[in-house]
Amino acid sequence: MSHADEILPNGRVVRYDFGERLTHWTAALSYIYLLLTGLAFWSPWCFWIAAVLGGGQTSRTLHPWIGLIFSVSVIKMFSRWSHQMHNTEADKEWWRSLKHYIQNEDEKMPPAGRYNAGQKALFWSFFYGAIVLLLTGLVLWFPEEIPWSFRWLRYVAVFLHPVAALATIANFLIHIYMSVFAERGAIDSMVQGDVTLHFAKRYHPEWYKEIVGGSSAPRK
Amino acid sequence: MSQATLRVQKISGHAGSIPGEDTQRQYTVAKLVDTTTCIGCKACEVACVEWNDMPFSPTTFDNTYQTMPETRWNYWNLILFNEHEKEDGSLMWLMRKNQCMHCAEPGCLAACPSDGAIIQYTNGIVDFQQDKCIGCGYCISGCPFNIPKFNKETKRVYKCTLCTDRVSEGLEPACIKACPTGCLHFGSKEDMLVLANQRAKQLKDNYNFPNAGVYDPQGVGGTGVIYVLHDATQPELYGGLPSNPQIPLMVKLWKGPLKWFGNLAMVGGLIGLAVHYLRFGPKERVETPHEGVQP
Amino acid sequence: MTNGWVDIKNTDMMLIMGGNPAENHPCGFKWAIEAKRNRNAKMIVVDPRFTRTASVADKFAQIRAGTDIAFLGGFIRYAIEKERIAKEYVVNYTNAGFIVSNDFKLPEDEGVFSGFDEKAHTYDRASWNYAGAPSAAPGKPGAPPALPPLPEKAEFDPTLQNPHCVFQLLKQHYSRYTPEMVEKVTGIPRAKYLELAELFTSVRDKGDIKKVATIIYAVGWTHHSFGTQIIRTAAMLQLLLGNVGRAGGGVNALRGHSNIQGATDMAGIFDNLPGYLKVPTPADGNFEGWMKRITPKPSKPGNWDSFNYYGNTPKFAVSMLKTFYGDAATKQTDWAYDYLPKVDRNYSWVQLWDNMYNGIVKGIFAFGMNGVAIGPDTQKNIDALKKADWLVVGEIYPDETSEFWKSPGITAEDQKKIQTTVYRLPCAGFAEKDGTFTNSARWLQWKNAALPVPPSCKLDQDIVAQIFLKVRDLYKKEGGKFPDPILKLTWSYTNPAAPSLAEVLKEINGKTLVDAEDPATKVQLKAGNQLPGFAWLKDDGTTTGGNWIYCGSYTEAGNLTARRDASDPSGMGVHQNWAWSWPANRRVLYNRASCDLDGKPWDASRRQIWWSEATQKWVGNDVPDFKADSKPADHMGPFIMNAEGVGRLFAPLGAFADGPFPTFYEPVESPVDNLIHPKQTNNPIAKKFKSAADKYGSPKDGFDIVCTTYRLTEHYHYWTKNNPMNVQLVPEPFVEISEEMARERGIQGGDRVKVESARGFYIAKAMVTKRIKPMQINGKTTYQIGIPIHWGYRGIAEDEGKTAKTPANMLSPSVIDPNAYTPEYKGFLVKVTKV
Repeated sequence: MSHADEILPNGRVVRYDFGERLTHWTAALSYIYLLLTGLAFWSPWCFWIAAVLGGGQTSRTLHPWIGLIFSVSVIKMFSRWSHQMHNTEADKEWWRSLKHYIQNEDEKMPPAGRYNAGQKALFWSFFYGAIVLLLTGLVLWFPEEIPWSFRWLRYVAVFLHPVAALATIANFLIHIYMSVFAERGAIDSMVQGDVTLHFAKRYHPEWYKEIVGGSSAPRK
Repeated sequence: MSQATLRVQKISGHAGSIPGEDTQRQYTVAKLVDTTTCIGCKACEVACVEWNDMPFSPTTFDNTYQTMPETRWNYWNLILFNEHEKEDGSLMWLMRKNQCMHCAEPGCLAACPSDGAIIQYTNGIVDFQQDKCIGCGYCISGCPFNIPKFNKETKRVYKCTLCTDRVSEGLEPACIKACPTGCLHFGSKEDMLVLANQRAKQLKDNYNFPNAGVYDPQGVGGTGVIYVLHDATQPELYGGLPSNPQIPLMVKLWKGPLKWFGNLAMVGGLIGLAVHYLRFGPKERVETPHEGVQP
Repeated sequence: MTNGWVDIKNTDMMLIMGGNPAENHPCGFKWAIEAKRNRNAKMIVVDPRFTRTASVADKFAQIRAGTDIAFLGGFIRYAIEKERIAKEYVVNYTNAGFIVSNDFKLPEDEGVFSGFDEKAHTYDRASWNYAGAPSAAPGKPGAPPALPPLPEKAEFDPTLQNPHCVFQLLKQHYSRYTPEMVEKVTGIPRAKYLELAELFTSVRDKGDIKKVATIIYAVGWTHHSFGTQIIRTAAMLQLLLGNVGRAGGGVNALRGHSNIQGATDMAGIFDNLPGYLKVPTPADGNFEGWMKRITPKPSKPGNWDSFNYYGNTPKFAVSMLKTFYGDAATKQTDWAYDYLPKVDRNYSWVQLWDNMYNGIVKGIFAFGMNGVAIGPDTQKNIDALKKADWLVVGEIYPDETSEFWKSPGITAEDQKKIQTTVYRLPCAGFAEKDGTFTNSARWLQWKNAALPVPPSCKLDQDIVAQIFLKVRDLYKKEGGKFPDPILKLTWSYTNPAAPSLAEVLKEINGKTLVDAEDPATKVQLKAGNQLPGFAWLKDDGTTTGGNWIYCGSYTEAGNLTARRDASDPSGMGVHQNWAWSWPANRRVLYNRASCDLDGKPWDASRRQIWWSEATQKWVGNDVPDFKADSKPADHMGPFIMNAEGVGRLFAPLGAFADGPFPTFYEPVESPVDNLIHPKQTNNPIAKKFKSAADKYGSPKDGFDIVCTTYRLTEHYHYWTKNNPMNVQLVPEPFVEISEEMARERGIQGGDRVKVESARGFYIAKAMVTKRIKPMQINGKTTYQIGIPIHWGYRGIAEDEGKTAKTPANMLSPSVIDPNAYTPEYKGFLVKVTKV
């Protein structure tokens, strides 16, 4: 299947359309808010963040609502991208070569498709993390509604919510690092929606092949 | 309701030192509830509602003399009634005044993220400061006694204050004042323990309650409300009083190991990434990524 | 109470029966708890339900409502059989050794005492006398036959062996009350019963006299067609055990309202005048005739002494009449005796409503009580009010009585037919009035008003005063048949239209009208001085005193009822300077009986009074209830209010209407026949009413469940259903039923059930509980249920339509005790169905 029509006249390749970018940034902004207010509730040393963001009460009130927005955007992303995130044989190879990836020896890496195995893992852990956060978050939203005999639900929630949050934070840090610092040009894909062919070839050679495989004619 | 004559010992969600800590030594206060002389008259319930100027809330018939199933945000003191048939067929009608236990190691305070929303005074009283409460309800999960209750309108959590406003003025709590039989006592924890143990001994020696004893659970570091029970081996009979209350394991894991791990992980992760960047730099130092690539 | 609230702390043993003090007297119950905490006292609770009191008892037994005499009679039998009686006390301080007339016959199988008139259902009580009495003086024509007097000199056997002495008769009478019999009648298993009997009488184990037991009761004993006799049984048991007059002992009535003791002291009963003086009857003729009838003469073994304090009755009566009628009461006017109403028949509560129902009583003033809800037989009372011309209600809330015309089942059509004019007078509440409360311990405690009277309301005394003044004006203007009692009534208050209660109390206390001196102490009073005590009352018209037992409460030293000195030097809970206790600020009645014959306390660790050889007087921590200088050697009896000077195990002559010994009868509605007296099921002279509204049920008609009624700690009678706080505590009426009965009838807790008696029905939610059990009565499983009474058709829940609107007394029967005329609110029959 050819994706040659995704090549723009200026030689760039469309990676994310507007809808995808909107979803991503909705998720990103809501996540950052959740992260900050979450951190405020996580540790007294960060409680000042709540004050900066309008006070503890406001933070407590908005956190679950923003969490809903986040959850919706995550689900949206799921419906959009999940079919692209299936693990392949190449991904297994990728994981085995992780050391080289870390050491920027990408030439020793098996060629990645539209998403490399790390990105897929990021996607899934964000997705599952968000689901756990949503479910536990609902319990924490209305703890008073949980009858005493179901109090274990609350206990599970107070523990799993930060666990899931920590997992997403780890992802989040890597995600930011990779997109902003490590892979120059990556962030363009989420801002403008396109990347250079070079970027595509450099980081996603299999995807690159898919794109150029059919036609070299610029997209109309 | 912060009181000038009370000194703070622990503060929820608080970073750094505790203002006023150790500036004044106060003995720990305690309520003694002798369930063996409680007649379930509810004078303490009424005194609590009236002293704290609480609005009335409707109740419905529930096949019991108990006023409502559990305490409410505006009903902090509730006598629990339980009919218990002993092995010999005789009946006991157990009545226990239920309220905040004022734990020495309060689960609510441990769970609370909001700076100063829950404080423990040096006299042992654990008090909610509603002006600082953010309504997250973590205290509800932290409490092993099902005490803090959420008010949906104010979005804040409430519970017994042990009448800090009275105690700080040298008075006993309102419930103690109202008790007609003298089943309730108030004083230093030390004195209350002596009194409670005397009573338990009397029950063993003279009243055929071989298992009589004092309930002062050490799982939460002891409590500011202690009970004399006819059968201290079965506190559950008294409306589900936990025999070994603890701050819930999950809350402890969360506030202990997980917190350490999480903090380390977050800080470590940031450092790790920075070090990575310094060591390996970006994946590609291409100044002009737009050229040189042809399909 | 013979003793007092605080005194309960001195006891070693409590029998709480016919009362639920933890529920209904929680503040006073403190002292029962104190006794347990400080003296290791034991508490026995016997009740139709496992109550709040039972929850702190050491032993509990569930009794069938109305079988208390069987229970207590069995205790008497047990105490005698096990020789657990206070021998010296019984011989010297009771009439156990008195020989009874040969004409007297015990009820045995017949179930009635000698002198019973089967047709009229009355007793000729002449045979209920000690041996050796002269025969009766002929009665006036038309008047009931006069009773003979007591013998001046009573025959007496100190060995108690004479077969016709009181003790032997008593022993024989209660020999029927075996544990087996008690089990069949009361439903208390024999083993359990013996456990209780053993424990209670253990205070006299092996001749010990030091320990003391108390008996505590309330309206659970009075609400029966034989209520007075239940209490007498308890008194006899206490006399046999030597517990009366002693700290921590006695027979202690817990009164049902904060001032009900005051109400009875001040003649709240139709056949009493203040201070329990018996009212004159038309047959008395004049003051002298009245005094002759009600002033006893001593009756005692020859070598004993009897104070016979009621010998002073004329002093009390003359002073009272002087208070009422002032200058109009003189020796020449026969002390205005003619002004006093003469009681020609029964005017008791149930009788009044029956009379209204029958169109005889045309109007009623209802103050501080809710007549319709109080019952018995609420529907009869509602129907009675429909027939009245007018009704005046002084209340703080619209209540069932003032809104009887809105009672359940009345249609708009019916309402048009009701012609009763209803006047509603908004009154002040208790916290808006000053005055005294007389508590169960006989303490008059002055209280101050806590709140001003709301502008639209008036104090009760102002309303009464203003009505009186208007009536007096009418008499002044229009004359009338006999205006003098109204026109000459003393009304010398500073503000006649609003008398201050302090002035009224002062007036009740009384004063001397001339300079006076007590010959013994040389204390002098000036004319107009308040009297220091009732010993100063005179029968020559020189003193006033509205109620002799209250004399001493408001003296020249001021209002003693307002005293609040909590000190108690003896540690016995006497508190001599806290408020003021009638009589004479005495805290334990009959306290001479706390000492042995030589005047030494039975228990030196609980000294109340004692004979001081040094001063040749009775002295002590309490005020001696005795002639202060009567030497022990004179053998004056400690029960100075009795003509005999001793406690009455046998109550002679007219003391009680239904027998000199209490004996067991079934309630008027009962599931079984009388097993103890097979030929007489019910109290033969209890009054059943005969109007169309008065129906009585039996097991034959399907009424086979024993029902008892009671009050809850969370509510105060029929008022607090108007207070949100109380409604929050207990929001709705309920019926307590056993798990077994609920299972049998498919009733779950919270289901609505209909309780029906022969008279009406009651609907409420079921409270299914372990605290009531089915009983085996004469071998048959019998269910018992309980209904708290506090609801009706006016109140927060009622007005919001949240609950059924039937008052509990729709169920209770119009039948009354022949002595106190109290209705049988407890132990009637019902059936129960799920709605």
